[in-house]
Amino acid sequence: MENTIQSATTNQLDVKFQMRPGATAAEITLKPGQKLTAEGGAMIAKSMAIQMTTSTQQKKSGGIIKGLKRLVSGENFFLNHYVAPAEGGKLWLGATHIGDMEQKELHGENLIIQGGSFVACTENVSIDASWQGFKNLVSKESLFWVKASGHGTVIFNSFGAIYKLEVDGEHIVDTGHIVAFEETLAFTLTKAGKSWVSSVLGGEGLVCKFKGKGIVWVQSHNSSSFGSTLGPQLKPR
Amino acid sequence: MEAIHTTEGFDFKFDCKPDYGFLTVKIPNGKKIKVEAAAMASMDTNLEMKTKFKGGFKRFLSGESLFINEFTAKNGNAEIQIAPAAPGDIDHVYLNNQTIYLQNTAFVASGDEVQVDTKWQGFTKGFFSGENFFLIKCSGKGDLWFNSYGGIIPIDIDGDYVVDTGHIVAFTEDLTYTINRIGGYKSLFFSGEGLVCNFKGKGRVWIQTRKINPFVSWVHPFRPKKNNN
Repeated sequence: MENTIQSATTNQLDVKFQMRPGATAAEITLKPGQKLTAEGGAMIAKSMAIQMTTSTQQKKSGGIIKGLKRLVSGENFFLNHYVAPAEGGKLWLGATHIGDMEQKELHGENLIIQGGSFVACTENVSIDASWQGFKNLVSKESLFWVKASGHGTVIFNSFGAIYKLEVDGEHIVDTGHIVAFEETLAFTLTKAGKSWVSSVLGGEGLVCKFKGKGIVWVQSHNSSSFGSTLGPQLKPR
Repeated sequence: MEAIHTTEGFDFKFDCKPDYGFLTVKIPNGKKIKVEAAAMASMDTNLEMKTKFKGGFKRFLSGESLFINEFTAKNGNAEIQIAPAAPGDIDHVYLNNQTIYLQNTAFVASGDEVQVDTKWQGFTKGFFSGENFFLIKCSGKGDLWFNSYGGIIPIDIDGDYVVDTGHIVAFTEDLTYTINRIGGYKSLFFSGEGLVCNFKGKGRVWIQTRKINPFVSWVHPFRPKKNNN
């Protein structure tokens, strides 16, 4: 028993987030032999002795089909797997966007993450980009979603700051602002206003109504709104 | 933020770190500092500006050049506010007969006695941002201020360390480096990490938490489509 507790604690990921919330980087101290899977392109720096391999799918979970699904869904097809040497090591991960990062410990439950927000997870967490919970989502956000399940640590990032919403009952979140949510929550996509006309003209389009008990991580800014503000001011492509 | 008083060098302070790092330097009468061209945001009237051009005309054509303005306090003590081009962090180091290499856009300002030169890396070692094959070499004695797009984090290295080439802001001269691919050949093309810099020795590297290129690629699809009429 004592052994299992020890192995459970030793497998926990040591993460420190630096420069929050605007320019967040994750400083990860890997224990001897500890493994981590990260989104392609996320590495800033690492100890020399940490080994990296690239694969089309997460190790030990699914095969080429899952990898292909990941490609189709727009999430990075390729994941990088890091293994710490006998003396352990340090790994720094960053994100593309101006924004924050958060971590969540999974104990067998499922977490749904906005596709572009997945950063990294530990060995016993599996990532499935074929999650279709929002498949009827007709929205300009064109988001895709990733389901993380298993036991271990998941790291995700946001555009802007992240705030945690503890839902108990009902709550409405704009689809473009959802970073992640616990799958214990039921959800329906609905219009923000009373009528479709006011929803579309009001700029809110589709919103997600969460129901039940669980946590939603919400980002303070919506990257497609920012892109639409910048775009027209740039030269045509 | 409170002003930082140093026994050597100029008194200065940083504001709005790490997202909008901004520098204020106090210049005693008769003293001079070097500032990256166009970085001066405001200053008092005691300061006189002179433009210096580092690198020569040939280097100007190859992009390996640096315009530096010199500000001299003439009729009394003076103060200058300096705003780097990119929103991001700013950091400081006092050089005591040392040499530090900066990524080509990182130079913000320095004391007058700091030698600022551009250094051609060659095609095998030229890695910063992929297009500009030169570094800025700062050596001598005095203050040095530098900035980045994103936060700046110092990492002390004793042995070996790997840093993504696009995330390097600065490093001390005592480190040697080679440019390598990371992992196997599959990783070179598919890992998204591109080339990395292997540092060796005992010294310090300053990394930036973000890169500007991914931001540029991200904004690209939002640009309007060209009208072909």
